[in-house]
Amino acid sequence: MPWPDGWFLIPILPLLAALWIGIGMVTGGRVGEAGERGTARIALFATGSAFIGLVMLDLLAWFKGAPGLKSYHPWLTSGEFSITWNLLFDRPALVMATLSAASCLVTLRFSVDYLHREAGFHRFFAILSLFSGGMLLIALAGNLVLTFVGWEVAGLASYLLISYMRDRAIAAENATRAFVTNRFGDAGLLLAIALASMWGVGLDWPALFAASHQRHAPPVPIVAFGLVIAALAKSAQLPFSAWIARALEGPTPSSAVFYGTLMAHAGLYLILRIEPLLWHAPVLMLLMLLLGLLTAALAVAIGRVQSDVKSALIYSTLAQLGLMFAECGAGFFDLALWHLVAHASWRLYQFLFSPSYLHLGEGVLQPVSKWLAQSHDLHNLALNRAWLDALTDALITRPTLALARDARMFDELVVNRIAGRPLRETLLASRAEWNDFSAVTDGSGIGVTGGRGMLGRLLERTARIFSWVEEQFVLKSSGDGLVKTLSFLGNYLTRAEISLGQPRYLILMIVLTFLIIL
Amino acid sequence: MAHASIQTTTRPPSRRDRIHAAIHHLEHLVPGQASIRDFVHHNTLHGFQHLTFPEALSQARHYTGIFGYLPAERFRALFAEGRISREDLQAVIEADPSLNAAQPIGPIPQGEIIRLKLQHGIQPISSRQLAWEIEEREALNQLQPGVEQESRDPFTAAGEPFAVRGLWRVCLELFGLSHREWYREERLDLASEEETPFENKTKRPGEAEAQREIIAALRAESGRRWEALVLRVGRDLTLRGLLQRVTGEDILNAIRPYLLRYLSGFLDLGVASWPMPGREAGFYRAWRMRALLEVGQGLEELPDWREQLEELPEEAEETIGFCLQRLELPEARWEGYLERLALELPGWSGMVMWRSQRPGYGGSPALVTMADYLAVRLVLERLFALRLCRAIWLLAPTLGMLGWHFQRYRGEFFAREALFSGVLPEFLASRASRLTHRPANDPDLGAEWRKLAYLIWTETGGAHFSGRPVTAATHAWPLFLLAQHLGWTADRLQALGAEQAQALLAVLESIDAEREGFLWLTAYERHYRERIFSALSANHGRGRWARRDTRPEAQVIFCMDDREEGIRRHLEEIAPMVETLGAAGFFGVPVNWRGVDDTALTPLCPVVVTPAHTVTERMRAGHEAVFARHQRWLALKGWWQRLTMRSSHKGLLVPLWIAPLMTPIVWVSLLMRSWLPEPWSRLTSGIAARLDADVPTEVTLTAADSIDPATPENPRNGFTLDEQAGRVAGFLRTIGLTSGFAPIVVIFGHGSSSQNNPHLAAYDCGACSGRHGGPNARLFAAMANHPEVRMRLAGMEIVIPDDCSFIGAEHNTGNEELIWYDRDRLPVPARAALNRLVVSLDAARLGSAHERARRLASAPHGGSRHQALAHMRRRGVDFSQARPELGHATNAVALIGRRSVTRGVFFDRRMYLISYDPTCDPDGRIVESILLAAGPVGAGISLEYYFSTVDNERFGCGTKVVHNITGLLGVMEGCSSDLRTGLPRQMIEIHEAMRLLVIVEQRPELLTAIYLRQEPIRELVGNGWIELASIDPDSGAIHHFVPEVGWQAWRNTLPQLPCVANSTEWYAGHTGPLPPALIALPEESTHAVA
Repeated sequence: MPWPDGWFLIPILPLLAALWIGIGMVTGGRVGEAGERGTARIALFATGSAFIGLVMLDLLAWFKGAPGLKSYHPWLTSGEFSITWNLLFDRPALVMATLSAASCLVTLRFSVDYLHREAGFHRFFAILSLFSGGMLLIALAGNLVLTFVGWEVAGLASYLLISYMRDRAIAAENATRAFVTNRFGDAGLLLAIALASMWGVGLDWPALFAASHQRHAPPVPIVAFGLVIAALAKSAQLPFSAWIARALEGPTPSSAVFYGTLMAHAGLYLILRIEPLLWHAPVLMLLMLLLGLLTAALAVAIGRVQSDVKSALIYSTLAQLGLMFAECGAGFFDLALWHLVAHASWRLYQFLFSPSYLHLGEGVLQPVSKWLAQSHDLHNLALNRAWLDALTDALITRPTLALARDARMFDELVVNRIAGRPLRETLLASRAEWNDFSAVTDGSGIGVTGGRGMLGRLLERTARIFSWVEEQFVLKSSGDGLVKTLSFLGNYLTRAEISLGQPRYLILMIVLTFLIIL
Repeated sequence: MAHASIQTTTRPPSRRDRIHAAIHHLEHLVPGQASIRDFVHHNTLHGFQHLTFPEALSQARHYTGIFGYLPAERFRALFAEGRISREDLQAVIEADPSLNAAQPIGPIPQGEIIRLKLQHGIQPISSRQLAWEIEEREALNQLQPGVEQESRDPFTAAGEPFAVRGLWRVCLELFGLSHREWYREERLDLASEEETPFENKTKRPGEAEAQREIIAALRAESGRRWEALVLRVGRDLTLRGLLQRVTGEDILNAIRPYLLRYLSGFLDLGVASWPMPGREAGFYRAWRMRALLEVGQGLEELPDWREQLEELPEEAEETIGFCLQRLELPEARWEGYLERLALELPGWSGMVMWRSQRPGYGGSPALVTMADYLAVRLVLERLFALRLCRAIWLLAPTLGMLGWHFQRYRGEFFAREALFSGVLPEFLASRASRLTHRPANDPDLGAEWRKLAYLIWTETGGAHFSGRPVTAATHAWPLFLLAQHLGWTADRLQALGAEQAQALLAVLESIDAEREGFLWLTAYERHYRERIFSALSANHGRGRWARRDTRPEAQVIFCMDDREEGIRRHLEEIAPMVETLGAAGFFGVPVNWRGVDDTALTPLCPVVVTPAHTVTERMRAGHEAVFARHQRWLALKGWWQRLTMRSSHKGLLVPLWIAPLMTPIVWVSLLMRSWLPEPWSRLTSGIAARLDADVPTEVTLTAADSIDPATPENPRNGFTLDEQAGRVAGFLRTIGLTSGFAPIVVIFGHGSSSQNNPHLAAYDCGACSGRHGGPNARLFAAMANHPEVRMRLAGMEIVIPDDCSFIGAEHNTGNEELIWYDRDRLPVPARAALNRLVVSLDAARLGSAHERARRLASAPHGGSRHQALAHMRRRGVDFSQARPELGHATNAVALIGRRSVTRGVFFDRRMYLISYDPTCDPDGRIVESILLAAGPVGAGISLEYYFSTVDNERFGCGTKVVHNITGLLGVMEGCSSDLRTGLPRQMIEIHEAMRLLVIVEQRPELLTAIYLRQEPIRELVGNGWIELASIDPDSGAIHHFVPEVGWQAWRNTLPQLPCVANSTEWYAGHTGPLPPALIALPEESTHAVA
């Protein structure tokens, strides 16, 4: 029996809504209070339709079995290698997609009144629609590349909403941190895509699953490894946990749907997705079991000492996620799926009701055990969130920043010198010169000295290089130029030595050595 | 111990005392907001209340940097809307003697110049703005858009572009400027490529000397600027501010998350289920002991963490002294430093202060002191500054060391300060910021800084540091605008001469932003006040019940709350024979209340009062079975709420079995709440009603007679009969209800219900400390119905007839619901009277809902009354509604007097109505007590709304959508922000920021006597925190009190008020604020028909 085909619209509709609202904002038609109703309607309609479509699909699947992989259109084809626009409608996909659409729908409805008169109202609805589309894509994607697209769309939406209050420095900084941490996960996904296509396994999920059944399929565990890394980062499992506590700067409804409900669970969904692969990678399962249990234990302890509602909720979410990872690690994938749905729904409810915390559920909480209550060390560990943040800072943030700075220095002092450009820049002495300088080098190339056309520009470049060389070595070496150049060089060497003494370079060199040996 | 005592004897005692005194003084500076569960409106600048209003705002701005008036653009927008008129501006300018409004400059009085400045925002601009005005807005070719027609005429006559250009030329000439100079930067092309003094190139003769001079000047200037900056530490800077100015780095960003983890854990009242151990020892000790054990600080790269902590003294006060000494801050500036430090996180500092004054609050064992908190702040500041200074200069963060460094490297300081004050053009800024990233031990760093400083100096001519020179943008431009608005062409201005032009400019400059704000504010207030006075004057003699010649059908006593003005007016329109009265909503019965379901006592009275009586509600005898069922229901509900909301995130395994159980319920609930909140709420409350049982209760009101007085320290259970009679008599006398009792007297407490609202208490009754006032109404009715109390009352000349019954009730200002207490105990005849009244009340609350709907964007406009009421119900149960009701927004005026003064006028729910009968109060004792009680409450509400409106981000708590409840104490934005105090944006959006106008129906002389007698009233009125006016009980003459001037008789200059048939006719179709209008009385309308 042929399936009625419009299902591909399910993830597309919210994306279109986001685009539509975005265009409205850019062209200036969608601003202020007057446009609120229209914006809300578009967003609700798109996600609402997706939800209704999914419910219909669920019913069909219930009675007649899930439709499975549906291909729509070829995307990229190159020799034997091809990627198709396709969606996979199987049980976990439908469950996750329905959960996503329902959660986004409720959150959108919640936000209509909650965000009334906010300056960022339209922005919020556009981003939430974008996120809704991204999540549906993750859930329904038929191949790894589409999953990756959804993954990135949802990640971008998350970044944009953490920094919803973009005039607040903390919000902007935390958004960037969350975004950057998640890029580690992306690296895992990209690795998986690259390996899978390199080994010619194919990128469609069913093809991957089929490949995993072949004996001696060497790439499968490595592909799975990349995906597990991606999942761990997205679900904020150890060692990536630090970002999620920083992600709560956005409006309450976005905190609810992103971190309480969908985003954080997307990683686990990926694990459920690749269940067939994981059965062939027992080491990975063991890793997940251990990391999951560790995360759960730590998050429970941390959650218990949090004194603000959103942090307390997020750490308990993290604890449950850890448990789910452990369940997967132990091979109970079905249990994990149930756990995911139940837990995500409930967290949505709790997060949306978090402003009621003062007035709901009064009464004394069950205190922790006496032994625990007196333990300063453990409380300290929990209160400082196991120093995960500091650890990330020390191992990743600061070295990265320093490397970036060094790269810039290298650029300025070596690359630019070789290219001949900014010798002038460092010596520019006045506004007038700055203006001249920018006029010449801003790329337009139509200055008095600028050449026209490709050949003209090439000639101009060459002339400049020659003039620089002349200036450096001919004009300056008269008099004490040579001495100065030497002392300059000496200084550079000193500086380089100081820089190279920094531990980051030691690490870098060790890494390089390893790479060469390998 | 011995060690400690030796220390105290050897130390000079004065230092400790000074730190104590400084901490004590902080009370005035930090926000005094209570924990959010006990939110009560109070003056945001309560600590400055001893100063006059403008002085206080200016002081507060000095300390906190927050401007206390609406921005001038907002006022100009109000002017454009007609909410402030030209006459208002003129009047307030003339009324201020210091402005010398009448003194002429040339042909024009100063007052006129000031008015034009305010109205058109004439002020100096920057040279870049000037360039923009000239190039983009063609300011030299056409008149300014705001110039009025009569001023345009002379220019049009001479040809506009020509005349405008001519005027500009004259403006420049009057200040000795030439046209070329309007774009300052054009002159600043001093140094050319590579001409830095540090390269030994052959120079032209004289050049070397010139460079040496520049370098000398630069060095001197840099030294001066460092000295000046260091002097500011302890005045308006802390170490953090100092470092921010020379490194661009804000160490508070690193300190805040770390500090808040400890601090909010320490102060927490029950979010965390694993409370911080060792809180009894105080914050400083608890933190230090734990910090010493920390293993993670190595990761933060905080140098010598443990060594630094180990050398700290044990005592918090000593640590404060130790840290400040380490900083090498002169002792004279210690107080200032602590103030600054506290104000860096005002919300948390305020909460520590508030908790330190209430030991044991919320059952927390934490020992909270301000000294502990400040000590930790200082230590952390030092540690994080140490990290920063080590990384940049390899120095310790002391003023001495930094000073030593910047004495040696003056160029570095000069360039750094210029960079981080944001004055550098891009090409210099990019160079400078690159230098800041060089490692500290880079050998040629010093020389690079020197070169850069030299470049900066030559680029700006050192001018961005010097005083304000005469420029086109700062001098000619304001004059240019002023002349346009005055209609003066070039010739007229030229004829005036340079001296007069200077004088004109001086007048413009004499009005600074604060002065301007205050003038605008008073003009805005005047506009509204004139209309109120005019309405009261027109209404004189119209209102019913000035005397109770006939017996009213019913008397209904509401809270004085401005939100009740609407429902009262509607009730009176529907049932003219009903009399309404208003009083502070605790009805003269301050009690510690324990409801039948409560586990703790709640004080129901204004915050300033501590109740001396306790009243408990309990089930009536014979209903044990019902009560048991109710108890079971409560237990079930509590279990459910704890399970779903709180206990869930404490454990790991509990959620495993709850979550699947919850999932279907969660989805049904979420979907229903999102689309059908009202039916869902009805369904759930229906289910609850089936499981629950309505327990008939009674209150233990009467205590055995006793001669011991009840005191707050030794409270009494219940009131003795004498006390009851005293309370009732006192209250009835206050509101002027001592005769002419109706068959039924209703007392309405009030409260508000909403969902998902951390600021719930801010919507409830302010006179009951942010709780529902129903119990007070119920108690009062019970007292007044007691036969023995009535006998005693009769002895006090208050005879309540036997056929008169009192009944307590509660009005929900959110969903307009009415709850009745002890209705079944009413005698049969009174029931009929009550039933008649209930019909009218039902119609009145429909009217009230309808009137409220007009101001709510999402409510049905122009819909029926039933639609409006349904909408209000929906708002109250909608969990996504951030504005369940509008609270006290737009409150502006209070009237203490008989309802006859105001009855029959539409006051747009902006008026507190406090009943008081001047004819029964010859010596003013009653009005004195009303002013003492209601004055601070009204001022508190009005001023909190005022300040939260003028700067919602900093006086208020910003938008609700990112709020996150912390410690059950307050809200943060996100997870590591300051504790946000004040009102959220959703509460003040439509508020009109003006001071409360209190009008008393009493003769001015009598009020003067009270004013002289009562210090608290003098503080509020004399310092201008509220405005006072009097309306004569007999003649209706109105006087306005002006501090330092006295009473001023008011004369009406406004046209006659419109008269409408009813409120609905007046507000229909309007969504904005409305001026008063007369509402036709029944006799008038019948007259009109006849």
